[in-house]
Amino acid sequence: MTDSKQALSVRDRARSLVGNQTSLLIVVMIVLSVVFTAFSNGTFLSTGVFANILTDWGGYILLAVGQTLVVISGGIDLSVGSTVSLSSVVAGFFMVKILGLNSDLKGVDAWGVLALAALVAIATGLVVGAVNAVLINVLKIVPFIATLSTFGAAAGLAIIVSGGMPMQGPSDFSLINPVRIPGIDPAVFDTGLFSPMVLVMIIVTAIVGLFLHKARFGLYTYAIGSNAFAARAAGINVKVHTSKIYLVSGALSGIAGFYAYIRLGSGSPSSGMGMELYAIAATVIGGASLMGGVGRMWGTALGTLILFTVQSGLLMTGVATDWKQIIVAILIAAAVAVQTLQKKNGAR
Amino acid sequence: MAGEVIYEVKNVSKRYGSVVALDGASLKLHAGEVLGLVGDNGAGKSTLVKVLSGAHDADGGELFLDGKEVRWHDPRQALDAGIETLYQESGLAPHLTVSQNVFLGREKFVKGFFGKLGFLARKQMEIEAHHDLEEVGIAVPSSNRSVSQLSGGQRQAVAIGRAVSWAQRVIILDEPTNHLGARQAGEVLQIVKAAKAKGLGVIFISHTLPHVLEVTDRVVVLRLGKIVKDAPTNLFDGDTLVAMITGTITELPSEKSK
Repeated sequence: MTDSKQALSVRDRARSLVGNQTSLLIVVMIVLSVVFTAFSNGTFLSTGVFANILTDWGGYILLAVGQTLVVISGGIDLSVGSTVSLSSVVAGFFMVKILGLNSDLKGVDAWGVLALAALVAIATGLVVGAVNAVLINVLKIVPFIATLSTFGAAAGLAIIVSGGMPMQGPSDFSLINPVRIPGIDPAVFDTGLFSPMVLVMIIVTAIVGLFLHKARFGLYTYAIGSNAFAARAAGINVKVHTSKIYLVSGALSGIAGFYAYIRLGSGSPSSGMGMELYAIAATVIGGASLMGGVGRMWGTALGTLILFTVQSGLLMTGVATDWKQIIVAILIAAAVAVQTLQKKNGAR
Repeated sequence: MAGEVIYEVKNVSKRYGSVVALDGASLKLHAGEVLGLVGDNGAGKSTLVKVLSGAHDADGGELFLDGKEVRWHDPRQALDAGIETLYQESGLAPHLTVSQNVFLGREKFVKGFFGKLGFLARKQMEIEAHHDLEEVGIAVPSSNRSVSQLSGGQRQAVAIGRAVSWAQRVIILDEPTNHLGARQAGEVLQIVKAAKAKGLGVIFISHTLPHVLEVTDRVVVLRLGKIVKDAPTNLFDGDTLVAMITGTITELPSEKSK
């Protein structure tokens, strides 16, 4: 009895070491960095390059975070990219057309109005999330079609609200520029890795990750994606919980919309175009299963990082950026293949 | 031997479109009684289970728990009233651990502010789940193992253990011995007997008639959505039970002789 228990725990440990998506992703990340460094004559391995990667990462991470929740619950949210466009445009519209401000308002002076604009962007995302929730849980449309509709509607609305042109308004680019630790000479060692906005994105990701892995919100998300019937039988209100998930995904897309605004200093109707596919790709590379019930926040954070490392790396090594999409496709296929292998070895 | 009536079904009907799944079914379940519910495929057993457990609303009829009329719109309400159900379709979430499944819908939280935010007392639940399952008579290797890593028999044992440890009044078991080996099925029957001894009302649904004859006190036979027989188990044997289910007889030999 004790012998078999011992054997089990050893096997479990071996399995978790090999089968752990997170450690695998870290290895992939390190290998990619080494390869890119070698092929770029060392220019890849610099603070500036990684700061750029992180800035890109910050633009997409919250979409991937929201997508992770949705995918674990067994759904999909195609509307997140359009929600970024719409919420960045609405934030611009709010400051330019409603408050009557223009791009002359810069720097610290703009902080107050930018904070308001952030709330407007989040509210816009929440509205899209609410529409998704109603389409899915009241009208019973499958998530793919429901969010495909809002994907189109939000993109169209972004063009209508903005008149098809970026809405330039108050800005503070210092929020998106890497902050250096004072007292350390950048010429000796550049500490400028994280911008204030990237730090906020990391904090939001960590908070959502804690709720996913440590709180009831996450437990119900996994339960619904794992076996919706069992979740309902256990007394979980599946409709209410999935509605919450789409609302969270919408709100996170709204924050990402605000990030896009800060980055450009304007609300552009094309700022979120195509982002949903990257968000889904990052989630899948991070180990989430589109069948539901599987996924980790660490995986998603690393999956997103790998995507943009590849993008920057290809640029630095002089490989035509046309190859980018093919490399991303290979990463997605590899991630799913690894998952299938793990399933074969893991579950009986 | 059996106590007072705990759960009563009066004239319950349920239709799916033009298909009548249940047609005026009535039955009484007593405390400390195991009631066998048998019938052919499509006889209405699973529909009756879903009405009793709150998973489906009945179209007509009444339910009484402890003599008071109840009406379920949601499984949560039946659970809160002390009615636990083991569904034929697995009632466990395979990606969650044993303890997460045992406590699903009844989580324990850490103390203080983080508990109010919904942060879970994971260690506490693992220890308690292990203890609860052991008390019911189920040895599970580890309560922090995911259910997908358990064998079919272990999964079924966890599902039953979960239902028995939470049940306050009634426990409904839909095909609890399905796909189990002889030894594991024997363990399940022991658990059913233990639940009965605790004074719970047990509804035992099964196609495995020897198990029904072994563990139940009374048998209710459903055919085409109607209850065609409700009699003490000792009046049946394997042959008469099969004949009653398939409809080749409508009365028990013992009744005819009267």
